[in-house]
Amino acid sequence: MSATFKRHGDGVRMELESFEVELLAELRDGLHRQLVDGDHADPVMQRLFPAQVAPEDEFVDMEVRDLIYDDLLRERLDGLEALHAIIDRGKPHRGRLRVDLKHDEAPLMLGVLNDLRLAIGARIGITKLDRDEVDEDHPAAYPVAVMDHLAWLQEQLLSIIDPASVSSEGPEV
Amino acid sequence: MTARLAPPVVGAAEPVPAGVVHASGPVPTPVREADTHEETTRDGPWDVIVWDDPVNLMSYVVYVFRKVFGFPEAVARKLMLEVHNKGRALVATEPREMAEMYVHQLHSHGLHATMQRSK
Repeated sequence: MSATFKRHGDGVRMELESFEVELLAELRDGLHRQLVDGDHADPVMQRLFPAQVAPEDEFVDMEVRDLIYDDLLRERLDGLEALHAIIDRGKPHRGRLRVDLKHDEAPLMLGVLNDLRLAIGARIGITKLDRDEVDEDHPAAYPVAVMDHLAWLQEQLLSIIDPASVSSEGPEV
Repeated sequence: MTARLAPPVVGAAEPVPAGVVHASGPVPTPVREADTHEETTRDGPWDVIVWDDPVNLMSYVVYVFRKVFGFPEAVARKLMLEVHNKGRALVATEPREMAEMYVHQLHSHGLHATMQRSK
């Protein structure tokens, strides 16, 4: 499978396989719904929004969380909207969807991909999951495979945006 | 561990500092006991701590540290590895407002960050 992201002049060219277009749309819609619903008991919301930021001082904790919650929500919703707009302007090219990303869209894509991975991880309870036990029959096999694919996309973007951040050993968590 | 903003890296729903309880709903508003609280809490430097998580890519955390703090690659990687190996790392010590800004930016990138009075 050839790379999805490539340097193109001063920018980044994205070429998505059809399954990736569908996958990103599905993940985007799912996360958008959860953000809009705003169910604070939802593990995805608990992962994407800090439950505590200043554990030693409840007043500071409350003030800071109040300060940043709306911004974090708006930023994440804006990112999902931007992802929708980026994919929407893609043109078919040799069986893939090609989009030339504008200057600020590559780091934005990187962040949205991260949010999507974090959301999947929260849904499947990744903190309690032993990845060595996730074989093809495991209920988490598909979401874990999706997370790994998104990690591969992130690593490609990082190698273009900030090559110094990438190790030669490939994506590691 | 981008503005979008989280590590092997660093993240959120997991290793939580001692005494930290993740809220599962709206958190009750504490009642202020003294008008001078805000003034006193703004005194002195605050440490910004980043916590490990099992989702954020190591490379992504290095990228976020470089982007948010402007660290050289070697410093960013050292801190990322500290988060990965020790579960947490002190990434900045700043006045409260600056610490708040960093915590915001780190969460915006999906990293799990907290702040505490520097000791």
